[in-house]
Amino acid sequence: MKNPTIDVLSPAGYRRRATIFLVIALLVAGASAFMGFDPTMLFTEFHYVTDLFNSMSPPNLNMIWHDETIGMAVLETVSMAFLGTLIGGGFAMVLAFLAAENTMPSLPVRLLVRLFLSIDRVIPPLFIILVFVSAVGLGPFAGMLSLVLSTMGTFGQLFREIIENTDPAPADAIYSVGATRAQVIRYVILPQVAPSFTANLFYAFDLNIRVAISLGIFGGGGIGFQIFQAMRLLHYHDALALILLTVVLIVGSEKLSDLLRSRLLNRGSLK
Amino acid sequence: MNEISIKPVRLSLLRRYGRVLLPLAGLSILAQGAAWVCGARWDLFFHGIADSMRFLVHILIPEWDAFTDMLQPALTSVFIALVGTVIGTVFSLVFALLAASNIAPAWLRQATRFLLGLERALPEIIILLFLVAAFGLGPFAGVLALAIGSIGMLGKLIADAIEELDPVSIDAIAAIGASRVQVILFGVIQPIIPSIVSFALFRFEYGIRLSVYLGAVGAGGIGLELYRSFTMLDYGRAATALIVTLILVFLSEWVSNFLRKKIKGGRFQ
Repeated sequence: MKNPTIDVLSPAGYRRRATIFLVIALLVAGASAFMGFDPTMLFTEFHYVTDLFNSMSPPNLNMIWHDETIGMAVLETVSMAFLGTLIGGGFAMVLAFLAAENTMPSLPVRLLVRLFLSIDRVIPPLFIILVFVSAVGLGPFAGMLSLVLSTMGTFGQLFREIIENTDPAPADAIYSVGATRAQVIRYVILPQVAPSFTANLFYAFDLNIRVAISLGIFGGGGIGFQIFQAMRLLHYHDALALILLTVVLIVGSEKLSDLLRSRLLNRGSLK
Repeated sequence: MNEISIKPVRLSLLRRYGRVLLPLAGLSILAQGAAWVCGARWDLFFHGIADSMRFLVHILIPEWDAFTDMLQPALTSVFIALVGTVIGTVFSLVFALLAASNIAPAWLRQATRFLLGLERALPEIIILLFLVAAFGLGPFAGVLALAIGSIGMLGKLIADAIEELDPVSIDAIAAIGASRVQVILFGVIQPIIPSIVSFALFRFEYGIRLSVYLGAVGAGGIGLELYRSFTMLDYGRAATALIVTLILVFLSEWVSNFLRKKIKGGRFQ
């Protein structure tokens, strides 16, 4: 295995790759048998999908304009994502400074914050929303709170890495002329990380719009809940209209987030 | 030698921090509006945090006997993620070939990229709701939702990897008389297998997290167990399901990282 490029077509390399793919294939076959997943069902029962599609189209687009609860639901989803990003992102920044080696001298604090962040990152959002729904009741507020937690976990970790990857030379330079830690953070680290923090928060907003839609189904309110209701009540024409609205919402937020991010990173404002 | 005097530049507060302060002011106004829409109130917030903490301490006593019941749902979740990812990867490869500029004609590339973008915009959970309505509850809908859901992301990543291939190596294979199929097999797919595997592993890790969600809506598995026991107020069981879920997420992350490191070390090449 010294020279991988020669190994590609050698019999030994070929045999090994064949074994790996065979193992994966067997694993997939075994797993399918265990779950009762039958791939041929996709072909034999495909008419259910076309039937459903036929009963869904045409989408009831009138409903979007005439039912004012829809407008409110969209607003709820967007607000949930916005506040989740803003508050969660704010907490993530503070925690990141507390967890980064070059800004937090105390090892116990650093470890504690890191432990919190990694636990927060792996707890399933499903569980978080269930707990918040039982604590503050159904509705967008519960959705917003769980978005705050998930944003904090994901982006806290990322922000810590960004802080630790800043150039240490300017910090050393102003330490050496007697700057305090707070001054180093304010005049060296903050200017270096601000553009990428902001850019990541735009990305977080884009991500949170999707999550907010999913959370709606479990009691977070907003457009996700409306879709779930429409599907459950078999109002398929309404459901398709709402799904189209969701796609427009997501694509719109993605484009907006991309635009703001690229403008920010190219111009390098906020420095 | 004339004296050099350094005059500190004094800017007004607004001019110095205006670029930061003005957006912040705008954001806080927006946040107020959003908070009103969400029905967020600070008293309710702190109340809610305190309540959920008390609630968590109260419920987080796992029922150890329920662990054996969790084995099958946990396996189902892992298998949904595994089969969904593998099927999704195979499909994405086809879409990626159609979306790569060095293989497909421009109109086909544009059309496929548009479709992939549209798919990425659809949350998996909505695909699942649709499939559950068509095929009924169960892992079948879950596997398909994960497979379809991964096409948008994997298809784009693989297509980008194909476009980054060195055209010389493709031309070299074509020059020695390979047919079009052979060029694609040995010139295009062969060199990007390591990247495909590493994208698929990343997606598998994500699929485990997703399958928890999807399970609760009707795909079955550990997510359904967690959701059902929680809504039936069987908190001991819910805590057990939560612990099993955490183990699953940790393990999948570890396995995926381990294998990806191996691939970087040239194990698959």
